[in-house]
Amino acid sequence: MILGGGLPLAMSLALVGAATIGLLLIGRFFPANLATIVYLIPVMVAASWWGTWPAIVAAIASAAAADFFFFPPYYSFRLDDTQAAIDLLLFLLVALVSGDLASRLRRETETLRRREDELQYLYGFSRRLAACHTASDLAEAIQDYLSESFGRHTAFFLSASTTASQATIAEAAPAFIQNKAAAMMKPDGEQSCVIADETGKSLWLLRTVVSAETVHGVIAVDIGVEPRAAVDERTRRVEAILSEASQTLQRLDIGGAMQEASHRLKDQLLRDAFHGNLSHELRSPLAAIKGSASVLETMPSIKDENQAFPLVSTITGEAARLDSFIGNLLHATRVSASDIRPHLSCADPRDIVNAAIVRRSRQLAAHDVKVSFDRDLPMVNVDSALVEEACGQLLENAAKYSPQGSTISVTVSPEAGCVSIAISDRGVGITADERAQLGQRSFRGERHRDIVPGAGLGFWIASTFVSANNGSIEIVSEGLGCGTTASITLPEAILDEDTGSNDE
Amino acid sequence: MSKPTNLVLLIDDEPKIRRFIRAGFELHGGFTVQEAEDAAEGLQAATFNAPDLIILDLALPDRRGNEVLDLVRSWSNVPIIILSVEANEEEKVRLLEAGADDYVVKPFGIAELIARSHAALRRYFKSEKENPVVVAGPLSIDLVNRTVLLNNNQIKLTRKQYRLLHVLATHLGLVVTHDQLLDDIWSGSVRKNIQYLRILVRDLRQIIEPDPNHPRLLVTESGVGYRLQSRIEDITLS
Repeated sequence: MILGGGLPLAMSLALVGAATIGLLLIGRFFPANLATIVYLIPVMVAASWWGTWPAIVAAIASAAAADFFFFPPYYSFRLDDTQAAIDLLLFLLVALVSGDLASRLRRETETLRRREDELQYLYGFSRRLAACHTASDLAEAIQDYLSESFGRHTAFFLSASTTASQATIAEAAPAFIQNKAAAMMKPDGEQSCVIADETGKSLWLLRTVVSAETVHGVIAVDIGVEPRAAVDERTRRVEAILSEASQTLQRLDIGGAMQEASHRLKDQLLRDAFHGNLSHELRSPLAAIKGSASVLETMPSIKDENQAFPLVSTITGEAARLDSFIGNLLHATRVSASDIRPHLSCADPRDIVNAAIVRRSRQLAAHDVKVSFDRDLPMVNVDSALVEEACGQLLENAAKYSPQGSTISVTVSPEAGCVSIAISDRGVGITADERAQLGQRSFRGERHRDIVPGAGLGFWIASTFVSANNGSIEIVSEGLGCGTTASITLPEAILDEDTGSNDE
Repeated sequence: MSKPTNLVLLIDDEPKIRRFIRAGFELHGGFTVQEAEDAAEGLQAATFNAPDLIILDLALPDRRGNEVLDLVRSWSNVPIIILSVEANEEEKVRLLEAGADDYVVKPFGIAELIARSHAALRRYFKSEKENPVVVAGPLSIDLVNRTVLLNNNQIKLTRKQYRLLHVLATHLGLVVTHDQLLDDIWSGSVRKNIQYLRILVRDLRQIIEPDPNHPRLLVTESGVGYRLQSRIEDITLS
């Protein structure tokens, strides 16, 4: 029942009255059995507007009015004719049944509309959720959703582990609710409770939102003060919807969603910044530094000066280091943006490996790099620039994690349908545990974090670039202190029969 | 060189870059540097001052560098070297095909730019002087008699191997794109495939390189093309 109290009943009676007046105006000698048909109108209207009880009232009132005005003897409830009595009973039956049907139809229509509204809210909610980047955005979205779908005052408290800015969201709620919510947020707090405020003017239902073990927050809904039965009914509904909402929230995994959102935001910022102007902005001053230092290095007065020359060399070296770091960040943004479109073409693996070694000559200066190429190396079908960068990253790692002066050997050999580039160092080796985590961005072995510089991007970039070329990387280590071998396997280029160089 | 000093027109909007390039060229000797800070000024200087070499930055405030390249190329063969922060291979190939003689990626050392400039000037004046013998380290290539000496001993090359060496020798010290080489060596042939070129290069290296596994004369420009070095020391640039 949408409208409480006696108003719908009075309205139904008024409709019956109006029908009676209408019939009386049209003509007293209206056939009685037709009059009953007209009386169906107020019954149907009452049923479809106000529900079952007004319809029943309208049906009974209509039967009485028909009896009184249109069945002889007129102006009396007495019925002489059995046929008239049967007609009237039949009318009552039809009115009650069709009234019930109409009201049921109305209820179903209403349910449908409500569901549609709920879906609309949920849709809007999920869209808002997708646009959330901070904890307070998220909490506000949830709070609005609950308020809209209940039509009641709702507060959402986020736990302190999720955000520090909960006060701004929940400040509308009374202090005692805030205190209770804080108590429930503790790991051993209650899951759900109902409390009344001091004045007894309103009742609040509180419920925790949990996923796995963590309490994400507490939802508080003001369920108002009404007769006990009404409050119970509302509590039940609120409980049901809250449990659904909390399930949805758990499924969404607020923590994960937020982390994801902030990662995405950071990635996006980094990417835009780099693809836009930042790499240019960073490299232009670097170009002036490196260029100026290179001119200084060639000046006779500097070249012969024992103190100045090493300083200029430092400037050159550090500028190169900064440049390779910017290069790494650029590669990393390309990887995280999935913006790698390899241009596969036939390439000589010798060229790729030699170029990688030349480009990393500064990082490899303290090591003895031994390269061996198999005599019959096939061509590979790859994007040379990407594979060269991947080799360079692995070479750099080999140099970082092995003692100065030790040997790094690079062995390039054919395998069935592939070419393998194996880079072996005599360094610290790698544990099975570390190997499992290697593919992740920013992974750096615990043991070296403090002694070896780097951002942990190298292997991540290398493995992404190699897989973009339909290749694979394998890391093998005999164990701690026994060195590491990183092998890149690349697909061989399929050569045409006629190689075009048979020109004699 | 055909002139005592070469006039270099330097078009770059960043004063600090211009400053060190000017200092580098003047210190090296044999160059006079004229600076232009934007495309308009650069084009004017290129028209009226007849520079021997143009060094052109791609990122100019008033006009894109490749438009300047196209405009200059529409009436002049003056050597042009591009400066760019973009290390993208397709972009390099596009610039070379549009008529740039070479490119240098920022940040770079002055030695690299001067080496490229010498190579571009050599090629520009060579065609006028018609000096038929090109020397690249231990190699000397006689472009008229089509003979190649390695450490003063004549070596035998196939027709295509010689053609490859010939094209690279006429661009000594400069990069030549894959397409340019394919067009030149397999002219008239229907199918052009980079595989042919890779294998031809590999075979030629077996003959001319002291260590074919670590080529220092016929070097690869990854994703772009090949370069014949004028001297064997030029290998590590960065």
